[in-house]
Amino acid sequence: MKRLWTILLACALLATPAVLFASGQSESASGGQTTIEVYYPVAVDAPIAKILDGYIQEFEQANPNIAVKPVYSGGYADVKTAVQTTIQGGGTPPALAVMLATDLYDLVNADYILPMDSFLDKLPNKDTYLKDFFPAFLENSRYNGKLWSIPFQRSAVVLYYNRDLLAQNNIAVPDSWNSLGKAAAALTERSGNKVTRWGIEWPSDWPYWLFQPLAIGAGHNIVGDDPTKVYFDDPSVIDAIKYYNSLSGTYKATPPGVQATWGAVPNNFSSGNTAMIVHSTGSLTGILSQAKFNVGVMAIPGKKTGTYASVPGGGNLYMLKGVPEIQQQAAFKFIQFLTEPARAADFSIQTGYIAARKSSYDTDVMKSYIQKVPQAASARDALQYAGKELAVQNLGEVRTIFHKYLQAAFNREMSAGEAMAQAQKEADKALEPFR
Amino acid sequence: MKTAKGERLLPYFLIFPTFLFVAIFTVYPTLRATVQSLFRQRLNIAKFREPTFIGLANYVDLFKDPQFITVLTNTLIYVIGVVPISVVTAFLFAQIVNRKLKGIGVVRLALFHPSILPLVSAATIWMFLFTPDYGLFNTALKLFGYHGPENWTANPRLALVAVMLVAYWKNAGFYMIFYLAGLQNLPAGVYEAARMEGAGPIRIAFSITLPLLRRTTLFVSTIAFITAFQAVDHVFVLTSGGPSGKSSILLYYLWEQRFVNLDVGRSSALTVILIAILLAFTVSNFVLSEQKEAGDD
Repeated sequence: MKRLWTILLACALLATPAVLFASGQSESASGGQTTIEVYYPVAVDAPIAKILDGYIQEFEQANPNIAVKPVYSGGYADVKTAVQTTIQGGGTPPALAVMLATDLYDLVNADYILPMDSFLDKLPNKDTYLKDFFPAFLENSRYNGKLWSIPFQRSAVVLYYNRDLLAQNNIAVPDSWNSLGKAAAALTERSGNKVTRWGIEWPSDWPYWLFQPLAIGAGHNIVGDDPTKVYFDDPSVIDAIKYYNSLSGTYKATPPGVQATWGAVPNNFSSGNTAMIVHSTGSLTGILSQAKFNVGVMAIPGKKTGTYASVPGGGNLYMLKGVPEIQQQAAFKFIQFLTEPARAADFSIQTGYIAARKSSYDTDVMKSYIQKVPQAASARDALQYAGKELAVQNLGEVRTIFHKYLQAAFNREMSAGEAMAQAQKEADKALEPFR
Repeated sequence: MKTAKGERLLPYFLIFPTFLFVAIFTVYPTLRATVQSLFRQRLNIAKFREPTFIGLANYVDLFKDPQFITVLTNTLIYVIGVVPISVVTAFLFAQIVNRKLKGIGVVRLALFHPSILPLVSAATIWMFLFTPDYGLFNTALKLFGYHGPENWTANPRLALVAVMLVAYWKNAGFYMIFYLAGLQNLPAGVYEAARMEGAGPIRIAFSITLPLLRRTTLFVSTIAFITAFQAVDHVFVLTSGGPSGKSSILLYYLWEQRFVNLDVGRSSALTVILIAILLAFTVSNFVLSEQKEAGDD
């Protein structure tokens, strides 16, 4: 009798995982309905989850045979980690995921994602559809003659400036490195030894992105068309580092060294404690809702007078390999739905991201919004000066190398030239397997 | 006869679920990592996507990489810095709150509450405290006359200290609980005798309390050591290992190799190294304490 109980107990314990597993599987594919999963990062302050839930509801009403299950998982890195662990663990990946536009090469090389050409080819208006996206946003979508992602929540680096402060001090809007440095110095306020207002803050805790406009503005981007090449030791890049350091050294208008202030800076600016900041357009909505002064938004002034620079950033929609055909079709349908001009406009207005499509700016809702909030148009206009965001083969390793030496130069542990020579050497080694 | 056989099998049945669990979630991954560490596999390099056997090359590369040496050094500093101070503080905290005073519950709660917070939330709070210029931490330090650098998480000399500080703040209160439980189980008579002999509080602490709590100390230092290696969330929030990799510790570096660089071989080698360190510590700790027990009896 005892033995029987033992066996029963053992069987029950053994069966538990199987039952749990089965119950987890059962919810998909019931009654001719297709369920697709979307992995989605919630990286900025805007209530993205709520906004997206609203779109999903609309989509499901219009397409009763498709159910969309969003999975919100931390930041971009978390989404990528989740996708990887799912695939490597032998599970079924989500049909759709929003990941960084710059993840392109890693995702293709790892064989995780699906090119979208076969789906795009079936569209009656493929060319007009693609041409409607801002070219700067599509730069990280093409590889090996195929299109791998659709721009969705996109941003750019811009300079936010306190218009009122500039006017009160009779300072013109900066149009060059020199005038930017001078304006920042003039707007810095001290009482005794203590700084009560910084002229400018330029975060560098995750530095490549906000730094790129400086390199472009100096004359050469850190990256080009060839995904196996970087230009870290270009004289322009070294020049750009020296300029960044001069803002604290010569102009004494910003804190010295690496500024670990990505999260704090929008608040510093909107509370009036900092006169100008360099940040993402994604912070626009938050800043405007808090600032009690006129906010100016523009591309970053370049080295020569009258030149400007920016870089795009943010996430694209990717379709993943290894999901059934019917889910792929549903996923592509959802992509089209999300990128409809009116919806892209609404998403932009609600979040502060730049609408990825040009025609979004012709919609009535966007036009009236821009009348109220002209800064949204300035954010979009910064795009015309945008160079390519750092995206190369072996991105993770190359970016870590660049960060390491860029920060060493910012912290004055190495000279700009020394640091970039070393960065170039190590990056070349990391890129060697691709050449 | 039948029953005897059943009884002989019973223990195996009973440990079977646990055994299965350990086999699936501990033994199998360890073996798999060990095997994978002997292969070159880079998921983001098409020609290295399929594993090729390369012997110990991953390990050799690691020890030739200055960044890995920095990470090992950082980890050593981190563990040596965090573990003893947390354990000593926990002991002192326990001494403080082990009194029957009015409002002692509030003090206990205050000291214990950091350990209830998830590490990510704790680190986010500290991120705010560390803010240059107006951060509360700097303001508090100034009251004590501190005028050094304020940019804790971005200063190459302070970033690792900032990470350690959060771990220390988070864990000391948790370890306190074990000491508190230990203290409350100590026989009152010994203390009475000591006091009658005229022993002061310091003498009592060193000659009576600490020896009696040796097992607690062993337990606490073991979990403190393991936690120091396992806790990594605050690194993500506070510094991302920066600036210039100066606050990267072993588990963060492992994550970076696996999920940012998609380097399966190298991250497996790191996993094996991590397991080896933990195993060496746990086994030696166990052996030493067993020896001491045997010597005592």
